[in-house]
Parts: sequence; C-alpha cells; structure tokens
Amino acid sequence: MKGSKLKVNLILMVLLILAIAFLAPILIVLMNSFKGKFFISDTPFLLPNSKTFAGLSNYVNGLIKTGFIQAFGWSLFITVSSVVVIVLFTSMTAWYITRVKSKLTKSIYYLFAFSMIVPFQMVMFTMTKVANVLHLDNPFGIIIIYLGFAAGLSVFMFAGFVKSIPLEIEEAAVIDGCSPIQTFFMVVFPILKPTAITVAILNTMWIWNDYLLPYLLIGNEYKTIPIAIQYLRGGYGSIDMGAMMAMLVLAIIPIIVFYFTCQKYIIKGVIAGAIKG
Amino acid sequence: MAKVILKNIYKVYPGNVAAVKDVNLNIEDKEFVVLVGPSGCGKSTTLRMIAGLEEITSGELYIGDRLCNDVAPKDRDIAMVFQNYALYPHMTVYENMAFGLKLRKTPKNEIDRKVREAAKILDIEHLLDRKPKALSGGQRQRVALGRAIVREPKVFLMDEPLSNLDAKLRVQMRTEILKLHRRLNTTFIYVTHDQTEAMTMGTRIVVMKDGVVQQVDTPKNIYENPANVFVAGFIGSPQMNFISSIITKEGNRLYVKIGGQKLPVPIDKAKVLEEKGYVNKEVIFGIRPENMDDNSDFLNKYSESTINAKVEVMENMGSETYLYLLFEGNSIIARVEPTSNAKIDHTVKLAVDMNRMHIFDKDTEEAVI
Repeated sequence: MKGSKLKVNLILMVLLILAIAFLAPILIVLMNSFKGKFFISDTPFLLPNSKTFAGLSNYVNGLIKTGFIQAFGWSLFITVSSVVVIVLFTSMTAWYITRVKSKLTKSIYYLFAFSMIVPFQMVMFTMTKVANVLHLDNPFGIIIIYLGFAAGLSVFMFAGFVKSIPLEIEEAAVIDGCSPIQTFFMVVFPILKPTAITVAILNTMWIWNDYLLPYLLIGNEYKTIPIAIQYLRGGYGSIDMGAMMAMLVLAIIPIIVFYFTCQKYIIKGVIAGAIKG
Repeated sequence: MAKVILKNIYKVYPGNVAAVKDVNLNIEDKEFVVLVGPSGCGKSTTLRMIAGLEEITSGELYIGDRLCNDVAPKDRDIAMVFQNYALYPHMTVYENMAFGLKLRKTPKNEIDRKVREAAKILDIEHLLDRKPKALSGGQRQRVALGRAIVREPKVFLMDEPLSNLDAKLRVQMRTEILKLHRRLNTTFIYVTHDQTEAMTMGTRIVVMKDGVVQQVDTPKNIYENPANVFVAGFIGSPQMNFISSIITKEGNRLYVKIGGQKLPVPIDKAKVLEEKGYVNKEVIFGIRPENMDDNSDFLNKYSESTINAKVEVMENMGSETYLYLLFEGNSIIARVEPTSNAKIDHTVKLAVDMNRMHIFDKDTEEAVI
C-alpha cells in the first residue's frame, strides 16, 4: 500500500515536470512578448519588470510589420475551407469503401492507411512541382493538397466508425425512401458527427500551424500566420524578437480557444471508433 | 393491402452459392405468413428480396399486380421492421416515425396526425420526444413498428423483430403484433427461427431449409401432417421422435417393428402403406412426445399399442413432465402427466396413440402417411 502510494507520487512528479516542460515555452513566449526587444535575449527567463516592460508596443509593432490581419485572414480561410472539404469528402469516401466491398475498395482503403506513414518531407519537392504544373499554388489549390495529406488519417478514422453503424439503419432509410445521397446526409453523416468533429479538430490544429506547405506553395504572395511571423527575421540575422513573440501569442490564441471548446469531442470521437472496429 | 407472389425466385451469390432456390409462394391479401427455418435457410434473404434490399437473381416478384423485380424499395409500398430495430439514433421517436413521410413530402399536419395515431396504438405517446438510446428494448421495438405503421404500406415485412427481446417481453409483443395485424388488416410477412412464434402467429407457415421451401400450410396442418422429416422435427417442442423401424405384416395387420417390440398400424394407414409398397421395408417411424403417455386412461384406451422403455432423465416442467427414454437403442422423449409414477432407471410402460403416427421414407425422408 505504502509502496504503491510512493509510486503514484513519483509518477505524478514526473508528469508534473513534463507538463511544466511542455508549457514553459508558451509561457516564455507570453512573458517576452511584453519585454522590450533588446531585453529578450539578455534575460529571456525573467518576468518583465519596470525597466524591461514594453507594454503593447511589440503587438502594435508586429501587427504593422507583418500584415498580421491579412495573414490571419488567409490562415482562417485556408484552414476552414480545408477542414470543411476534408470532413465532407473523407467521410463520404470512408462510407463508400466500407459499404461497397470489393477488391478495389479494399486496396483503396489500404492505400489511405499507407499514406499515413509517408512523411511530408519525402514528397514535398515532387509535390510542389506537381502543384505548380497543375496551378494549385494558390490559396484555393492548397485546399486540395491539404485534402490529400489529411485523407489518410481521416478516412481511416471515419471508416472505423462507419463499420460500427448497423447496416440495417441504412437499409431502413432506403425503405423509408432515401436516395444514396439522402441516406448519407440525413442518416449516416449525423451518426458520424462525433468522428467528424474529431477529424475536424485534428486537422484544424495542424493546418492552422502548418508552415512548410504554405511556404513552399504560396508563401511569396499569400502569407499565412506562421509565414508572416517568419518574415520578422530581417536580413543579416536581425530579428525583431519582441514583435515575433507578440505575434506568436496572437497566433496561438485562436487554436487554444478552439481546442478547449472542442476537446471533449476529441476523446468521444476517438473512443467511438475504437470500441467497435 | 396486396397479394405478394413469388415465382421461381432464386438468389445466387457470387461463387455460385445459391441462398434461395426456386421459391414459389402465393401470399394472399391480409394474410400473416411466417417464414421459418434454421439460420442460413434463406428465409431472411427471401424477405430481403421482397423488400428490394437484395437483388433477385431470377424469377418474378409481384406485389399487388405489379412486377417488382426492378422497382426500388421505396416504391414497393412496403415497410420493414428489423431485428435490431434500426432506429435513427440522432432523431427523436417522433422524427424517426415521421422520417419516411417527410421524404414523401406528406403535409406537416398529416404527418403529425399519423404519427400521433400510431403512437397511440402502440402506447408510446409519452416517448415521442425521446431519443432511441433512452428507450428500453421493448419500447424501441414499438417505435420500429410505429415507423412502419405510419407509412400505411401494402405489405409489412418483419425480420425476426422479437429476437432481441427477453422471453417475457417477446410473448407480450407477439400478441401485440397479432392485434396490430387484425387492426391494420394488411399483409404481413414475418421471418423467425422460432417455431413457437411461427405456430402462434402465422395464418400460414412457410418452412425453409437450405434455400428450399419444405412446406407451406396452416400451423395446424404443418403440425399434424408434416411433409418430411425436417419439417416434422423443426415444428414442435420437444421435437418429434424419429425411430428407424420395419413395416411387417402378420395375418391381415401391419406392424411397425422396432427392435423386439412392435406396434399395430391403424387399418386406414395400413392400407396406404400397403398400396405404396412399404411392407417389409425400412422406414422412419415418427411420433410426437405428447402422443405417448403412461397414465391409466391412456393405457386403457390404446392398450393394443404399448411399449416398454427405460427412463433415463425426468424433467418436471410443473404442468407436464418430459421423460427421456431409452427405447430399443433409440433415445426418445415422451410428454406425460406430472402425476406419472415413472422413476429414473426403471422401465415404464407407455401407450402410443398410433392414429397420430407418421411414417417417412427412409431414403427421401418424405412423409408417406
């Protein structure tokens, strides 16, 4: 009894240290966003004091320098559109390849599963080239590319959940008079809602934070937030650290708010697919 | 309200697996037909073909006077109740019931009237705002029935609707469905593997095995005159006893000879056996457990036809007792009065009502008499 209590405390300690380690960078960014830019590299781990406190000047500075509002707009547009497209298409795909059983659908399913293990860096240059040829190097084309990259995991998750829906529900819908499209949107998709929310959250988080893909494809003309912040690096290694910290804070806030409002669905969706597969 | 006619219906799955073979049925308007058989006998497939959920490989299906082979399920004017209820989990009971009508663009006030009317019949009015997950099994089944009722279909199809319910509720819902049938006055086609449900509910029973229809008749006729060994064994609980035996002739009379014991065949049945040439031939003798008894009335009445058998197990069911007997090397069951004096490991003398006997051909297993 005593031994196990010690063990619990020990695990708690380790987890606490880990939690602090993970949260510390965010805290440091937040702290430094209020310091004058020359004090950041001197005393990065200290709280701002009367001497180093710079008020909101970093924020104002950053907003002006980076064109943050516009970047925010592009980020929002790309993220929201991509996620809507991803949820819509991958759920339909998963439904089809789960319900229509053939060698073709089975191999498509495995292809989706396989695509999850291909790292982005491996395909990024060929993909960029193809995207250029196909004129997908704009904020609309990038949505299609995000669909491609997200399809693996999303189809995999949806397919797991579709399998757990009794086929009879769909048959009842057919007898009630649904066409296949109606069956999907009026019966299947509402049942898939928990998984759809999970898929939406997971994709929103990485697409919002994604740097490499927009940088490679549209970075010159259309800057998303991560790229806009990167442009605070001037030439010859001069960086406006203060403005950068401030912009990082602004970039993180929406996704954190989004995460906290939706987090209960993540667990729900992951479990829903897992119990019956 | 419509007739359903199946003409030479086949269902063959890829790989040449025939699930349903040459089914011919003529289901009259307002009939309650029960398809019954062990799992995998093709009864559900047949029902699903009527519903349009499975394609018909060959043959013709008529609902009413219309050839329905290629008609979409929604245009067949049928409603189906599934074993696992198949309610839409994201809709309330009301929405579940209204869904089919909504898709058919029925006016709102009419939907409302029909849903409330059906809810009243099924006694689920107080549940209309609930979601299916907040209902018990019996309530869900009522909702599933309600969803079928509001559509006012020509034909009701039910695929083992009571199998997911507990025993008590099943008996209760059985009578409810029968009442519903009387009230709606519509054709019902009901699939079950439970012979009790088949016997109690059907105006006619269709017994199937391996995709082939074995017999179509009223419950009484199926019970009393089964067409073959399979039907005889499937309908009735405990099942009919089958004993291989030889028909012998001594003087003018025919006997069923089982080991060292013999039972006289009633004159009218003997005539048929003789005409068909079964004298001195091996046959399967069938007798139901309730046609053997050891009480004195029965023994007096059928004093000519008695057997001696050793009691192996006794099951007292309260209102009756089942004797598991060893009779000339065959295990048989007799249903006797609970007052029986039979004792385990003792030999008991039983009278057999030979008017109720069955004789099946040894090779074809078809009924001879």
